[in-house]
Amino acid sequence: MAQPANVGELLSMLDSTMLGVRDDVTAVFKENLNSDRGPMLVNTLVDHYLETNSQPVLHILTTLQEPHDKHLLDKINEYVGKAATRLSILSLLGHVVRLQPSWKHKLSQAPLLPSLLKCLKMDTDIVVLTTGVLVLITMLPMIPQSGKQHLLDFFDIFGRLSSWCLKKPGHVTEIYLVHLHASVYALFHRLYGMYPCNFVSFLRSHYSMKENLETFEEVVKPMMEHVRIHPELVTGSKDHELDPRRWKKLETHDVVIECAKISLDPTEASYEDGYSVSHQLFTRFPPRSADVTTSPYVDTQNSYGSATSTPYSTTQLMLFSTPRHLPQTLSSPSARLLPEPLQATLWSPSSVCGMTTPPTSPGNVPSDLSHPYSKVFGTTGGKGTPLGTPATSPPPAPTCHPDDYVHISHTPQATATPPRKEERTDSARPCLHRQHHLPNDRGLEDLHRSKGSVTLSDLPVFLGDLASEEDSIEKDKEEAAISKELSEITTAEADPVVPRGGFDSPFYRDSLPGSQRKTCSAPSGTRGSIVNPEPFHSSLDKRGPDTPKQAFTPIDLPCGGADSSPAEDRDRQTSLETSILTPSPCKIPPHKGTGFGSTQPPPYDHLFEVALPKTARYFVSKKTEELLKKVKGSPEEDYVPSTSPMEVLDRLIQQGADAHSKELNKLSLPSKSVDWTHFGGSPPSDEIRTLRDQLLLLHNQLLYERFKRQQHALRNRRLLRKVIRAAALEEHNAAMKDQLKLQEKDIQIWKVSLQKEQARYSQLQEQRDTVVTQLHSQIRQLQHDREEFYNQSQELQTKLEDCRNMIAELRIELKKANNKVCHTELLLSQVSQKLSNSESVQQQMEFLNRQLLVLGEVNELYLEQLQSKHSDTTKEVEMMKAAYRKELEKNRSHVLQQNQRLDTSQKRILELESLLAKKDHLLLEQKKYLEDVKSQASGQLLAAESRYETQKRITQMFELEILDLYGRLEKDDLVQKLDEEKAEAAEAAEERLDCCNDGCSDSVAGHNEEASGHNGEAKTPRPSGIRGSYGARGAGGSSSSSELSTPEKPPSQKAGPLSSWWDTTVGEPSTSIPTVGSLPSSKSFLGMKARELFRNKSESQCDEDGMTIRSLSETLKTEQGKDSGVEAKSPLNLDGPHLSPPAPDSVGQLRIMDYNESHHEHS
Amino acid sequence: MTEDSQRNFRSVYYEKVGFRGVEEKKSLEILLKDDRLDIEKLCTFSQRFPLPSMYRALVWKVLLGILPPHHESHAQVMMYRKDQYSDILHALKVTRFISDTTPQVEVYLRMHQLESGKLPRSPSFLRQPEDEVFLAIAKAMEEMVEDNVDCYWITRCFVNQLNNKYRDSLPHLPKAFEQYLSLEDGRLLSHLRACSAVSRLPYDLWFRRCFAGCLPESSLQRVWDKVVSGSCKILLFVAVEILLTFKIKVMALNSAEKITKFLENIPQDSSDAIVSKAIDLWHKHCGTPVHSA
Repeated sequence: MAQPANVGELLSMLDSTMLGVRDDVTAVFKENLNSDRGPMLVNTLVDHYLETNSQPVLHILTTLQEPHDKHLLDKINEYVGKAATRLSILSLLGHVVRLQPSWKHKLSQAPLLPSLLKCLKMDTDIVVLTTGVLVLITMLPMIPQSGKQHLLDFFDIFGRLSSWCLKKPGHVTEIYLVHLHASVYALFHRLYGMYPCNFVSFLRSHYSMKENLETFEEVVKPMMEHVRIHPELVTGSKDHELDPRRWKKLETHDVVIECAKISLDPTEASYEDGYSVSHQLFTRFPPRSADVTTSPYVDTQNSYGSATSTPYSTTQLMLFSTPRHLPQTLSSPSARLLPEPLQATLWSPSSVCGMTTPPTSPGNVPSDLSHPYSKVFGTTGGKGTPLGTPATSPPPAPTCHPDDYVHISHTPQATATPPRKEERTDSARPCLHRQHHLPNDRGLEDLHRSKGSVTLSDLPVFLGDLASEEDSIEKDKEEAAISKELSEITTAEADPVVPRGGFDSPFYRDSLPGSQRKTCSAPSGTRGSIVNPEPFHSSLDKRGPDTPKQAFTPIDLPCGGADSSPAEDRDRQTSLETSILTPSPCKIPPHKGTGFGSTQPPPYDHLFEVALPKTARYFVSKKTEELLKKVKGSPEEDYVPSTSPMEVLDRLIQQGADAHSKELNKLSLPSKSVDWTHFGGSPPSDEIRTLRDQLLLLHNQLLYERFKRQQHALRNRRLLRKVIRAAALEEHNAAMKDQLKLQEKDIQIWKVSLQKEQARYSQLQEQRDTVVTQLHSQIRQLQHDREEFYNQSQELQTKLEDCRNMIAELRIELKKANNKVCHTELLLSQVSQKLSNSESVQQQMEFLNRQLLVLGEVNELYLEQLQSKHSDTTKEVEMMKAAYRKELEKNRSHVLQQNQRLDTSQKRILELESLLAKKDHLLLEQKKYLEDVKSQASGQLLAAESRYETQKRITQMFELEILDLYGRLEKDDLVQKLDEEKAEAAEAAEERLDCCNDGCSDSVAGHNEEASGHNGEAKTPRPSGIRGSYGARGAGGSSSSSELSTPEKPPSQKAGPLSSWWDTTVGEPSTSIPTVGSLPSSKSFLGMKARELFRNKSESQCDEDGMTIRSLSETLKTEQGKDSGVEAKSPLNLDGPHLSPPAPDSVGQLRIMDYNESHHEHS
Repeated sequence: MTEDSQRNFRSVYYEKVGFRGVEEKKSLEILLKDDRLDIEKLCTFSQRFPLPSMYRALVWKVLLGILPPHHESHAQVMMYRKDQYSDILHALKVTRFISDTTPQVEVYLRMHQLESGKLPRSPSFLRQPEDEVFLAIAKAMEEMVEDNVDCYWITRCFVNQLNNKYRDSLPHLPKAFEQYLSLEDGRLLSHLRACSAVSRLPYDLWFRRCFAGCLPESSLQRVWDKVVSGSCKILLFVAVEILLTFKIKVMALNSAEKITKFLENIPQDSSDAIVSKAIDLWHKHCGTPVHSA
């Protein structure tokens, strides 16, 4: 855009016939587009395209890159709004969309989509509608999830158009409707495939209305017959269908295939995967499927495909050359390359479909009917002889041959124009690739040849195998190469029909059943470029288009009628008018006029068939059957209700083609100019317009189908990749297995070696063990030795120590010895001294001895003198002795005397001692006795006391009784007078008392009575009453102490002591005479002592013994009394006289003892 | 006892062989021949051996202090006792507390009451429980001793001994009884406890009356030998032995009333055995009394 002014020039240059210029210009545009981001250039391009329909511009537009998409879409949107430009812009949009630009996802957001939908809803032009619908159908798989917001619009469009199909509003021609129907049918498939639930619900709601019922019956229902139940209807839901996640996984071609899967229409359906059942179904119901397959739809599609391809070829070759091609191919290859023709014919049925050269000969038709079978698929049989073609096309073939041949020969050269060659160089690689494959192909072809006798039934399988083998490796590369080539070629050639790639693929498809290579080469051949390097190819090329035709013709013939059908394509331009079909005449003008340029539709028919991927396999069988049927009752077919719109369209096209070929046949087969001129003038403008429209429609349809094919191709590539991968993996697996085996072997070897090693190891270990044991034993020995040595060393050490000790001791001893030596030396010196001394002493001794001797002699002398003097002393001594003797005797006698005295005195002492002992013993006995007596007395005393106690009790009782009685008496007295009674009472009381006293005395003891008698007399100085009386009573027996005063005392006084006693014991307070009672007790001991003294003096007559005894007893009593109290006295007193008689002798002793005792006690 | 063994070395073996009491009479006679009776020896003897019945009264009287240990004074003391007895009797008769028709036992009771100064003002006064005890003992004693004076004196001293010497130990006997019963037969005791009869056993009959009226006199006097000689524990063992003997019957009885009733009127036939066993039991638990002198 650097030079905007140049744009116009450049654009004009684009259309130049010079390929080089064209390429340069396109390059310039591309550069500009890359550099510039503005909408200007795009807009101008679009405008230019709309004006001129220039192919290069279209190419540029379709390959626009990202930043320009918006401008382009905006521009398109703008033009869509305008009715005038709508159709062309839609077709432009179709081109753009089909190429699946990288920005296709933006389509949904672009304002273009709503406006397109709106246009589809509003527009009434069927051509526009059809085009728009096809564009929409193409777009749908690209924007599956984003299209959902327009879902209702889609449905509405479907509803509107489907009703159109029936109602034919206004001026719409029948032929258009066929197209429309076909597109609606496609839309139906697409919608149903993509949004089954929603779509079904829409159908349900929409066609439940009465006004739509008819439409449903007529249009929709038949459509539904070609559809199986969508699985989503069962598993999915409305929301799920619209879920973006569902669509994310699927690519565009996936969506397309998905849609194809649910189709029962063999032309549409995909037999991938698990749909074999349906496939069987088809086979099972041949008639039906046959009907379907034979449907014109197929043809139309084929024609579509061919349409795309044809223009190309037509540009270079003459329109009519194609029919001639066949014969050429048939003949020429056979002539040139022997193997090739065979193959070509072999493959012809599948690949050839489109090229119905033979049909050119109308007369052949009937004969073909029987043949085609054998030819097309049965070529196997008839293959060896390219019978089919010759047979069918004998009439034309010969005629054509020369021309065709020339043409062909010419074409390569023509095509091999310099620019192209340059192009070719660009695509050198693809060519190389192909060459690579060539050998393979040849091999295959050889195979085919050898298998020439393969039966019909086997063929498909055989073909399939071949295809799979070949395809797997080659396809990808080839495809890539081809597509590149083609695209480049197309650009170079400025072929209006964009999809070069698409071009190839149909061929390629064909090759699936048959040989791709040939089909592939076919297009290239047609272009001529490919042919160049390999003549072989060129021949193939020629054949490629041709053979299909051969196969096809039989089909076409019946449809189109014997005359018109064979030439359909080529004839279209020329002989459409003549054909029975009304539309056909109209077709030609548009073709020419619209400037699809120099496009000539005719030869594309075969491509249609090839373009349908699935049909290919079944094509032959169905076709044949269909043909058979058609032969029998072709007219009926049209009325078959189930014929799909596609078929109808197909048929329409076929018929058109037939008509055309018919026309062609009528004409001589010269150059196009003849045709052109021939047709150019005659057709009416109206028809021309309709034809042009129809052509447009067809073109659109074709483009759509091509798009579909492309998708299939994509998918196939992907599948292939998978297959390759799987194979590679398998190989890899196998390799791995081999490796594994090898490794296992290795492992085994290792194991063996391991065992060996182990054995060795065990041996070594054993050896080692033995060595170890030996070493151990050695060690033990050594240890033992060591210990022994150790012990020895220890012993030695001890010895050493001993020695040391000994040495030390010895040293000590030595010292001692030294000392001793010293000492002895000292001593020695001393001794020597002494010795000297002793010597001197000895000398002295000797001297003394001598003296002694002298003295001895002197002594002897003196003794002698003494003896002489001894006799005088003896007498004196004797006298002295005598005196001594006498004195001795005297002393002895004296001693005797003394001894005797001693004896006597000793005896005396003994006697006295014994006496003393006796006395002691006696004393003891006495003591014992006394004890005895004491205890005895105490026993008696106790008894007496108890008696006394009882007496007291008795008296108490009596007193009680008396008092009781007194009480009674007094009570009685109270009643009487007191005075008289008192005296009497006193007397009575006295008497009573006496009585009582008597009673008492009686009861106590007999001698008491006497005592009482005495008492009356002897009662002198006693100060006390009772005590005195009782005490007296004790002494009463011996002493006549008369105490007569007692009885005279008043009774109350007498009773006093009693009562006092009573008091002391019982504790009852007595008022009577406490003082009197107390006197004796207080004075008792003193009184008694005094009494004794007194009695001793006054009553001198008393016996001494008795006195002593009494006094003794008294003292004893007093002593005891201190302990036992007053009570003990009286009994003792009583006992006194009793005791006295039994022991009168021992009184003195007793006294002594008593005194002793008393002494003891007192002390 | 050393004298006994000196006198007859066989006496030890007699006992071993099973002849008990062969030498007892002799030894007792020897004991009684001593001028001054050794009371302790007599006590030990009577605890160890059953007393011959002919000396029983004498020994009892000596042990109870009715007679002094000296033979010489026996006559005189006895005379005193008789005098005392007759005096009291006379006095009671004079005061008309008793008459000739009064039963001897009651006479004893009145005499005892008189002596202890507890004579009620009228004979018609209700008797105290202690009087009942006295009556029971006197009744049993009447059977054992012929002479009235002796009987009175022994009864009196016996009761006095119970009241004075054993006053402190008698109330503890029931507890000791339970203890020994549990030692001898725990099940029986638990049965009694289960019947809550332990507290309701005839302790009064057993320990206050010394089984007077419970056991026949012939066996009773053997028990009383021990009681007189200074051990009241024998009562306990007799009671234990009674229960052990009649264990089966007692176990069969479930209510305290029935048990008490049964024990108050035990059959007389096995009393001798009961007493012998009781003495053995007593010896077993308290050891054979040995003269400590």
